[in-house]
Amino acid sequence: MTRQQKKLFVLSIAFAAAFAIVPGANAMHIMEGYLPLQFCIAWGVICIPFLVMGFFSIQNKLRENRKNITILAMSGAFIFVISSLKIPSVTGSCSHMTGTGLGAILFGPGAVSILGIIVLVFQAVMLAHGGLTSLGANTFSMAVAGPFLSYGVYMVCKKCKVNRRVSVFLAAALGDIFTYCVTSFQLAVAYPSESGGMLASAGKFLAVFAPTQLPLAMIEGLLTTIIIITLENYAQPELRDVGYLESK
Amino acid sequence: MGVFGLHKNSHHSHGVRNIDFYASQSKIRHWNDSFKVASSCIILLLCMILDQPEVSITVIVTMGIVNIWANRVPALAYIGLLKVPLAFLAIGCIIIALGISKQPMGDYRVFLCGHYFYTTNEGVGRAAALFFKAMGAVSAMYALTLSTSASELAGVLKKAHVPKAVVELMNMMYRFIFILTEVQGRMKTAAVSRLGYVDFKASCYSFGKIGGNLFLVSLKKANTYYDAMVSRGYEGDLPFWEEEKQVKLWQAGALMLYLCGLAGVYILATR
Repeated sequence: MTRQQKKLFVLSIAFAAAFAIVPGANAMHIMEGYLPLQFCIAWGVICIPFLVMGFFSIQNKLRENRKNITILAMSGAFIFVISSLKIPSVTGSCSHMTGTGLGAILFGPGAVSILGIIVLVFQAVMLAHGGLTSLGANTFSMAVAGPFLSYGVYMVCKKCKVNRRVSVFLAAALGDIFTYCVTSFQLAVAYPSESGGMLASAGKFLAVFAPTQLPLAMIEGLLTTIIIITLENYAQPELRDVGYLESK
Repeated sequence: MGVFGLHKNSHHSHGVRNIDFYASQSKIRHWNDSFKVASSCIILLLCMILDQPEVSITVIVTMGIVNIWANRVPALAYIGLLKVPLAFLAIGCIIIALGISKQPMGDYRVFLCGHYFYTTNEGVGRAAALFFKAMGAVSAMYALTLSTSASELAGVLKKAHVPKAVVELMNMMYRFIFILTEVQGRMKTAAVSRLGYVDFKASCYSFGKIGGNLFLVSLKKANTYYDAMVSRGYEGDLPFWEEEKQVKLWQAGALMLYLCGLAGVYILATR
């Protein structure tokens, strides 16, 4: 082998290795210590209005009926458990649902922002997915941006009288893709590339995560739809309790 | 296959229990929680602000000793825990070190599909520094989470005047997570033993149905628990018993000494 060939060979191994570890358990949670401090603070500050809104929405729910406290806590625990489960995948890699789409459709984006930040704290503390300093950035991508988009898509589909199952699928899948785009953007803003700046860096992050995240989004959409169908079949009263179906 | 699937499935429910389990048997679990939170946060922040590989490596090593010796985590298990964020970090560092351009540039480059993939000495240095910084931060976070359970952390948040409703939600969610994980585990065992995870299509259906069922069960349980709480006098206030833990002078002294040590390493490294 010439030197050039050797280099190429080594690089191809490095590439293969990088792609082999992409399906890591928590690819989309930004880890502890990865973002510079000023970005951690900035993303945290951006989340504040959404969290305040979510807090008021939760307080209203509690004022309406004190009983909602256990329902909310169970919903949060449900989102945690669902997002910590390994989902079936064709490649045998280890991936997770974000649960954002499901949460937003069932409980509305306001409540999900608060439930989401608590879930993220627990994920950081109990599973080491994500981190404490990156909590703001992760909250923005997974508990604010994703759920709001999912909810928006779901509402638009509902207005346009799209089949409910199709709209659930679209909401969950697009919410997942949006979460992944926002995370890539967050990483790119913090670490712009030397030659092409922020956009080139965003492209790099998007490209590396795409092979796992795009199929994952489809699977997440599919699973969310199956979950919702199951619930519509067996749990109509409960769905009314959480406000997914209008009460009679 | 079925048994194998079961085995693989249990990996995460163990994950929940693992860190929490170590926290409950740590030698320093009786230390004041706020003190533990404050000290690990200071170390974590120092690691990030100073951003000096020497300081980060010191933190990685010392926090490793704390976790293995004081938190009684077996060394192999601790390495396993450190591997959790490694996948993200490896990709993140490669992307930062690697550049793509049409013109040849950088100290090392390879021509591939019409583009140059290049890296510079500086880029590699930056990626390495980031690697150590992030691992240092993770080690400091582990020192906290492996010695303090999530419900004790909720207690600290309460003292920090986080709204009562949020702390209450955290306390309840913490308890419900274990219940739901167990219920889910049993549902999955039942599904696996009936070939519910035999191929991809079946797995998707089983996963979705378990998810739906889990939601149903969780809401039923929520109602039951609320009734149980009300019948025991719940009126919107959920006080939990907390162990009274005093900060000892030597603990504060040890922290000061450690921080001075880190400052010393920083001064030596930057001189």
